[in-house]
Amino acid sequence: FRFKDSLAEDLRKADLVISHAGAGSCLETLEEGKPLIVVTNEKLMNNHQLELAQQLHRDGHVLCCNCSTLVETLQSMDLSTLKPFPPGQPEKFALFLDKVFGFQ
Amino acid sequence: LTAVYFAFTGGHTTEILRLLSCLSESYSPRHYIFADSDKMSEAKIHSFEQKRSETFSNSQFTLDRIPRSREVRQSWTSSVVTTLYSILYSLPLTYKLKPDLILCNGPGTCVPVCISALLLGLLGIKRAIIVYVESICRVETLSLSGKILYHFSDYFIVQWPDLKEKYPKSVYLGRIV
Repeated sequence: FRFKDSLAEDLRKADLVISHAGAGSCLETLEEGKPLIVVTNEKLMNNHQLELAQQLHRDGHVLCCNCSTLVETLQSMDLSTLKPFPPGQPEKFALFLDKVFGFQ
Repeated sequence: LTAVYFAFTGGHTTEILRLLSCLSESYSPRHYIFADSDKMSEAKIHSFEQKRSETFSNSQFTLDRIPRSREVRQSWTSSVVTTLYSILYSLPLTYKLKPDLILCNGPGTCVPVCISALLLGLLGIKRAIIVYVESICRVETLSLSGKILYHFSDYFIVQWPDLKEKYPKSVYLGRIV
């Protein structure tokens, strides 16, 4: 398929996700607790996609590779090394704003 | 009661809706502003507000579209012209809405809205508090909107510690989306 409104269902059924480094794709996958391999292509990608992918990789949440090393990565990967990704905390933002406006 | 303003588009929409997810009903009415070329954001906002109205009875919100101030990779000189046009376009809208709070998270569309709010503040018409939350994608460098609004926002929030170090006036709350 080309474009779906939501991949949530497919994501829930998956055992492994291979994706580009778009923030939405990465975060949604990690939040579902699915192992993720991020394929980067430095020639095509925007800088900011690369930043997030690299950080997630440094923190041990995803495996990274590029198009040419994908097969090798799939053959040698150890998914148990991936660390769980704690969810973001929008409540901290709400608290911050409440303090700014004096709602407490 | 605080009238709230949001300016965003596209992938930023998911982030901003997450930011709003824990806000109390004091942040109402909510006015969403987005680029006129964006179709998917409208659906996401409706769905978010729909869910919200199941918990909170007094949910009021509006949607407004403004022309995009800059297309991806648009040249510098033409960007200045289109941004000026966007500022002129958003001035009457900002004047009409008179927000207490403007919350934005990155797309170029938010810069003219913030500038028009600053102008209204300077003219003594309405002083809005501008809160900018840099996208979670930005780990080490700021977006162009971020670089501009770092100097003009009241609160500039980043989501990774590296940015807090590089931009000391920013606020770091950890990951909030």
